[in-house]
Amino acid sequence: MTIASERTPVLELRNITLHYGSVEALHDVSIKSYAGEVIGLVGDNGAGKSSLIKVISGVNTADSGEVIVDGVRRHWRSPHDSMAAGIETLYQDSGLAPDLSIGSNIFLGREKRRSGLLGRLGFVDQRAMEKEALEQLARVGITIPATQRTVSELSGGQRQAVAIGRAIAWAKHVIVLDEPTNHLGARQSAEVLNVIKSAREQGLSVIFISHSLPHVLEVTDRIIVLRLGRVVRDAPTSEFTVESLLGTITGLNESTGS
Amino acid sequence: MSTSVDALVTTVKSQSRVRRVVTNQQFVLFVVLIALILFFASRNSLFFRVGEFSNLFTDFSGLVLIALAETYVIVAGGIDLAVGSTAAVSGVVAAGWIQPLVNHGVNQAVILLVGTLACAVVGALAGGLSALLITAFDLVPFVATLVTYSVGAGLALVISHGAPVGYNPGAIYWSASGIGMITWLVAIVLVVAVVLGVVLHLTVYGRYNFAIGSNEFAARAAGIAVRRHLISVYVLAGVLAGLTGMFFYIRSGSGAATTGVTNSANLVAIAAVVIGGASLTGGVGRWAGTMLGAAVLTVVSDGLIFINVPPTWIQVVVGALIAVAALLQSFRRRSRRVP
Repeated sequence: MTIASERTPVLELRNITLHYGSVEALHDVSIKSYAGEVIGLVGDNGAGKSSLIKVISGVNTADSGEVIVDGVRRHWRSPHDSMAAGIETLYQDSGLAPDLSIGSNIFLGREKRRSGLLGRLGFVDQRAMEKEALEQLARVGITIPATQRTVSELSGGQRQAVAIGRAIAWAKHVIVLDEPTNHLGARQSAEVLNVIKSAREQGLSVIFISHSLPHVLEVTDRIIVLRLGRVVRDAPTSEFTVESLLGTITGLNESTGS
Repeated sequence: MSTSVDALVTTVKSQSRVRRVVTNQQFVLFVVLIALILFFASRNSLFFRVGEFSNLFTDFSGLVLIALAETYVIVAGGIDLAVGSTAAVSGVVAAGWIQPLVNHGVNQAVILLVGTLACAVVGALAGGLSALLITAFDLVPFVATLVTYSVGAGLALVISHGAPVGYNPGAIYWSASGIGMITWLVAIVLVVAVVLGVVLHLTVYGRYNFAIGSNEFAARAAGIAVRRHLISVYVLAGVLAGLTGMFFYIRSGSGAATTGVTNSANLVAIAAVVIGGASLTGGVGRWAGTMLGAAVLTVVSDGLIFINVPPTWIQVVVGALIAVAALLQSFRRRSRRVP
């Protein structure tokens, strides 16, 4: 056992099993993540990565198993519950509402209301949201010229910047990033990796899902490999190379033993 | 934090101000509306009489609530084909329920309030049926509301036996009273319309409506109770259709199964929304657009009659209007897209 195990994990999943109809997406999956640590979650298509993060974020509910945050057993009835517990998730390609402004997207589900009676009637304070959205993005190192612009008017890189900025700005404990470097150029990807490193410095627990193995090896402290819904390897990143990681993902170096 | 993500950010070319105004659907519609009024007035000077404007407001009021109902539904990414027959069935049911009160000479204000409540309840039930089929049985909105449309139209015929239900001359009398060209009935409808606009654009409820229509998954992942919201939207649409049923009851003094059905009010309402610049894929639409769309359709329908165009041609003109509006929207979307 490593030193890390003496600390309380900020997020722990115990024996998670999830079915979609008769298909078993996750089988007895247990993982722990700690503050100030970046975990790489890798696996082939259909290995269960997206299913696992949907269990973490409350989009899906596991058939059995436990979700434990800061030592407390939790049950998510909806994504709202996990967000309230300080867990933010960046979904692959689909986390933003393209027809809403950048500011509205940053505050989606957390709209600021006007003060007094109007606020109680549900009136939103759009001006304050646009202003604070700029500040929040700037705080995590992202500058966007005008937040009133709708997301549909942004380039792919800009959308990703807004999505990452939103997740990091709100995350208190855990941030889950599903393929954040997808569709990005080399330079933009490097910047995203820098944002991940600074999230770790802030003391967040980061769960990073990617098909880009060099990115995973560069930025993570520990790598969890999923195959066909099971955890097949959970080890410090230093124990992997691109080749051995690829072998573990595909299962090709199973017979040789690793 | 020290990291900079400037590399992720490339400046978006902003389009010229002139182009932005010209491609603004509401602005174009406003110009079209004024032009239409001037055109009809130039062809027939009687068009400018107070009486004709009063008629325009009244016809507009019969359309605007279901058009706004349709705006909420379409912005949320759905469609509601049921609003026309919901108006019919609620008018017929309410007319039957309140006729005993009319016969007993109960105060007209009480009768109309009870009738309004009854229409709202029947409308809510119709909207609830659509919502149930969509959220619990996963039917697509088009099919689910087609079911509600058929059930509503059928029940309206069954209940009314194809004849007007009830007779309330007091309601007709009241429907004509008001100040100048605005009757009390129209004034009430306009107040409801304004409230709907405020809720759509200034409140959290309206914001969720846009978010769900724009990207349902993003809305769900952001913690929005999507299912509950969609149920409320279809029920709201049903209530507004019910109120429209009551509107026509008050104007004619009876409930009729033909209300909103024979004139395909559901399609006219959708046309108003589309002309107003909303996107049928959801997430895009404006209250002002629908108001102007409904106004343009009202002025065209009434104005063509005024200059002796056969009513049969009106639908052709409406079709052309929808085509122009849709083309304008597609042009605007292309001009805004970032390469």
